[in-house]
Amino acid sequence: MAKELSKIINKWVPAEGKVIDFGCGDGSLLKELMDSKNILGYGVEINDHKIEVCISKGVPVIKQDIDKGINGFESSNFDISIMARSIQCLKEPSLALNRMLKLSNRCVVTLPNLGYWKCRINLASGKMPVTPELPSSWYETDNIHLCTIKDFEELCMKEGIKIKDSVFLDSKGGNGKLASLIPNLFAIEGVYLLEKQ
Amino acid sequence: MKIKTELINFPEGLDLDSGDRLDSFELMVESYGELNESKTNAILVCHAFSGNHHVSGENSERETGWWDEIVGPNKAIDINKYYVVCCNNLGGCSGSSGPKSINPSTKKAYGGNFPLVSVSDWVNSQKMLLDKLDIPFWSFVVGGSLGGMQALQWSIAYPDKVKKVGIFAAAARSSTQNIAMNEVARESIRKDQNFHNGNYIEHDVIPKNGIKTARMLGHITYLSERHMDLRFGRKFQDDNSKVDHEVDFEVENYLQYKGDKFSEIFDANTYILMTKAMDGYDAAGVSGKLDRSLKKVTAQFLIIGFYSDWLYPPERGKEIQIAAMNNNIKSSYVVLEGEHGHDSFLFASDKYAKIIEKFIQS
Repeated sequence: MAKELSKIINKWVPAEGKVIDFGCGDGSLLKELMDSKNILGYGVEINDHKIEVCISKGVPVIKQDIDKGINGFESSNFDISIMARSIQCLKEPSLALNRMLKLSNRCVVTLPNLGYWKCRINLASGKMPVTPELPSSWYETDNIHLCTIKDFEELCMKEGIKIKDSVFLDSKGGNGKLASLIPNLFAIEGVYLLEKQ
Repeated sequence: MKIKTELINFPEGLDLDSGDRLDSFELMVESYGELNESKTNAILVCHAFSGNHHVSGENSERETGWWDEIVGPNKAIDINKYYVVCCNNLGGCSGSSGPKSINPSTKKAYGGNFPLVSVSDWVNSQKMLLDKLDIPFWSFVVGGSLGGMQALQWSIAYPDKVKKVGIFAAAARSSTQNIAMNEVARESIRKDQNFHNGNYIEHDVIPKNGIKTARMLGHITYLSERHMDLRFGRKFQDDNSKVDHEVDFEVENYLQYKGDKFSEIFDANTYILMTKAMDGYDAAGVSGKLDRSLKKVTAQFLIIGFYSDWLYPPERGKEIQIAAMNNNIKSSYVVLEGEHGHDSFLFASDKYAKIIEKFIQS
């Protein structure tokens, strides 16, 4: 995970909090949070190899396909749930958002921005965008629900989800001025801290 | 590979869950590897229903241990690094005190009068073993199926005596269907005319037919439909290797053969005792709430289930995982392919072995 991204998330996660990370990959974010903030973290992952890496790092992990449901964890009282770069791969992103906010009062969601100017140029030339952030062709990509920053924020409003904080990353992976000023055009990724309204 | 097998006597006896008492008892114990100086590398392996203390390598009878694929030098549970201990459970028929043992007060075999034992009794006897071996704690307690229940019970009963726990192809309690299957097996044993209310040793007979039928049924529940299909299909048994002239299909021949073999080595009373212990176990305890019974647990959990296991399906492991998370226990839950149904926990698939190895090392 990019340094800047994990730095932002690190700021939002409460020290010694109970955290669940959907689509946790090799567990590196959770491991960082365990080391720096002494959190109790659980990852959810479907890939066996990545699960093995989590376990070797001492990161508790649950094998589950998040597309088949983010449920069964409501009783665990999480402080915060995280879904980094995965929501666009889900069949029902809005359901996932609502479920996450059921099991924790706050959640962190990050997603690639289809409104980024390079994507728009791609589309203007009549092709689906293929960029360093979205490297796969339309027929190979897992990203079945791509959206723009604007689209996502509209969804949050419609679902009654409060955007407590947001940070926009530019193509260098940093929190650039232009990306913050006009995120829908210049951000490659939106990083959100969401809350129930 | 160094295997140490010893019969350890516990003259202090044990008060059992049932209210009965064993005034003294013996455990047949096998161990592998060396306890390190700081005594931090001890692992307890708990055996499943028909297992025993012989886990790894070849014993003097040239039999290979039941978990040889996982436990051994440079294997997932590496005896070059860990001191691994397994005992035949109380009530068993492989050397520990059980129905075949002589009751000191009657000077005759216990037979059907051996007291009922529970998973928690086993764990209590294993705790006495830990003390006798002068080990401060187990770094890992692990088992599959009924062995997994013991591992879970260890974390509940002795939270400061176990650091990590491995619960494989197991559940916090047997399901209604599990109990039902076991009852059919027990019924076939009880109704064998040689059973004599459990006192067949006195009559110098063995209820072999009963044990055989019980095992045949059990065996079906341990395998997956797909595995049976792939292995036997609807192939006919060739005439030269039929164990019985009634047999048509290979699968029939297989079950007949396995049942026969088992009935020669396993004790009928032990069969009844072990299945009763399995049926009776409920990690939730008297409160009936697993959440509550895990409150004092400090060990880390590794829960593994197998998709093809319909006896203790993965969802049963998930229940333990959820209760563990509710109690802030560091717990992982992994489901693996495993083609052997419930028996998958016995075989070292790449992913399975790696995950166990990494968990112990982490």
